[in-house]
Amino acid sequence: MGYELWTEKYRPHTLDEMIDQDEIVTRLKSFVKAKNVPHCIFAGPPGTGKTTAALCLAHDLYGENYREYIMELNASDERGINVIRETVKTFARTKPIGEVSFKLLILDEADNMTDDAQQALRRTMERYSETARFILIANYSGKIIEPIQSRCAPFRFTYLPAEAVANRIKYICEREKVEITDDGIEAIIELAGGDLRKTLNILQTAASTGKPVTADLVYAVVGKANPAEIRDMMLTALNGDFIAARNKLRELTRKYGLAGTDIIRQLHGEVFRLNIPDNWKVKLADVIGEVDYRLVRGATEEIQLSALLAKLVEAGYEMKKSLR
Amino acid sequence: MSSKSPPVPWTLKYKPKSLSEVIGNEESKKKIIEWLRSWEKGVPEKKALFIYGPPGIGKTATVEALANDFNMEIIMTDASTYRTEETVRRLAGRASQLGSLFGKKKLIVFDEIDGITGTADTGGLSEIIRVIENTRIPVILIANDAWDPRFASLRNISLLVEFKRLSVTEVTKHLARICAKEGIIAEEKALKFIAERSSGDVRSAVLDLQALAQGKDRLTYDDVSWLAARDRKEEIFNVLRMIFYAKSATSAKMAVNMADVDIDMLLEWIYENIPYHIKNPPELAAAMDAISKADLYRGMLKETGDYTFLRYIIDWMTAGVAFSWSRKATGWVPFKFPERVKTASATKEEREMLEEIGRRIGKRCHLSSSRAIVEVLPYLTIILHNNPKMGKRIARWLNLTDEMIEFIMKRAG
Repeated sequence: MGYELWTEKYRPHTLDEMIDQDEIVTRLKSFVKAKNVPHCIFAGPPGTGKTTAALCLAHDLYGENYREYIMELNASDERGINVIRETVKTFARTKPIGEVSFKLLILDEADNMTDDAQQALRRTMERYSETARFILIANYSGKIIEPIQSRCAPFRFTYLPAEAVANRIKYICEREKVEITDDGIEAIIELAGGDLRKTLNILQTAASTGKPVTADLVYAVVGKANPAEIRDMMLTALNGDFIAARNKLRELTRKYGLAGTDIIRQLHGEVFRLNIPDNWKVKLADVIGEVDYRLVRGATEEIQLSALLAKLVEAGYEMKKSLR
Repeated sequence: MSSKSPPVPWTLKYKPKSLSEVIGNEESKKKIIEWLRSWEKGVPEKKALFIYGPPGIGKTATVEALANDFNMEIIMTDASTYRTEETVRRLAGRASQLGSLFGKKKLIVFDEIDGITGTADTGGLSEIIRVIENTRIPVILIANDAWDPRFASLRNISLLVEFKRLSVTEVTKHLARICAKEGIIAEEKALKFIAERSSGDVRSAVLDLQALAQGKDRLTYDDVSWLAARDRKEEIFNVLRMIFYAKSATSAKMAVNMADVDIDMLLEWIYENIPYHIKNPPELAAAMDAISKADLYRGMLKETGDYTFLRYIIDWMTAGVAFSWSRKATGWVPFKFPERVKTASATKEEREMLEEIGRRIGKRCHLSSSRAIVEVLPYLTIILHNNPKMGKRIARWLNLTDEMIEFIMKRAG
């Protein structure tokens, strides 16, 4: 077994190697053919190939030495206006040597840029569009200011379908000589849900034990945050113990590093399986949607999810009352 | 949280029963004993004793312990009752009349006389002076500030005794005694830290100790050091009380202005404490809904930098929370320190180490430092535990140093 992370080892290098996202790949290939790329926004959830697509595009456009023609910046680490004014400008200003007349600037996690920096970026994009093209990568394109959006070709990435993920898992297991069962594959897909980075991280972590990868192993090793624990947290709340439920939530997020969006997704799946009246299922689904929306607006995961747990406490209480 | 009997504040549980248990202010205590003894030879020249000094250093406790030692009964009023001319006279009358009927001698104590107000307690102060002039039994006055101009006449007819802030050593010793009785093994450094922060206020130090140590077997410096960033606790506790038990929406909102903490931190305090005070499920859900709305506006403020959202944050976290429930206290409920803040306030070095690890992983995996910490580090941690050899090789491929690897292993525990 190799000693690097599989997310990198198996990251596609060319557009031909890309998994799924066929429409996007076709459009990008046409850019390569024309040797012209407009400013682009790649938007979509994590682990769906946005950064990979940008790098593959660069590879196909410039060839093996593509690194000399691109700059990869992460806006979360360098979100200030000064980076845009200095680093980006210096890079964008000069013409590259070679067949392609522009450089490529890949700005990852662009939705984390401040508004000021985005305004500065907008000017830079306009002024240097002869010598540099920008690919902005974001989870939510809505957080990118209108004037930039209107200057970019939009690409919407979606979660990979289960079948494509399953095929990728099988392919890697073959290469890495890892034994995996069907329910092991299902468990990984259940946990990662179309996020390929997460899929590979879970797979590699489970495989690192040296045992055959079964569903039990996946949940035991990685899972610690498995669906049963989420369900347990919900039942604790339904039974009226809010403080214990909140502590479980803290455990899930802190100890196991489970992201709020994962918990929400699983909660949503569980709500309709709970043994509660249908009108409460709908009410809770409404609250879950609201929480999801609020997280996009910058609210705090734990506080929002706690409010949801309190709603479950109320649901349990009302049910008991109506039984009396 | 266990559902044992409701906790008793340690300030009550460990209240001194005898003067020998009162810490500090030795000179002042001697002066008081002398004065009280002088009553055995008849009514002395100064019939009132005026004890003053900052809060929480044992003024009232001293008087109560003394009464215990001298087997005296205290007739006391404090700021919780009205003290008009009428009520003061009635109280003093009761004290002197009953004096000879029972075996116990009596002692009149007017506690917290700073709290006597001009309007609600009409004539209260001048009646206290009359009581002192006519008394046949000892009168003790207690205040934070004896030099308030309103007390000029009282000062003239009283023996002044000052109580000073307690030293760090004195407070530390007291905390150590409590820990011993509670069966808590505490690092001296931790207790000293709490003592230092209390600025000589032993009451707040004891309440802090309880909040930090109750239910634990051990108390280490790490358990308390994060407090450094926190503001004066009685201030924050008062603010929380004013919000949770607000009489009106306006008073709940006003509480924010009293706090010397920033809004962010106050929101965390309120969020942490809601379930301990608000138990009824529909009310709990409403209160959590209110605080989650405050949090939403906080998020929007951070995203946009637009401070108009601040007013909605304040509305929801104060009045919104207060009016989601009946605001009826059910016994004494201690305020808890926010867990979220505790975990977030790892030491600066730890945060920097984590960030650097995130940066290095991010560089390899095309991620920002923060996303690398959330999306990759947890898996690397598990691999390091299950298969250290493989984990270490991957870590090195990620350009992590041995020190970083050790840090990751330790962090996961």
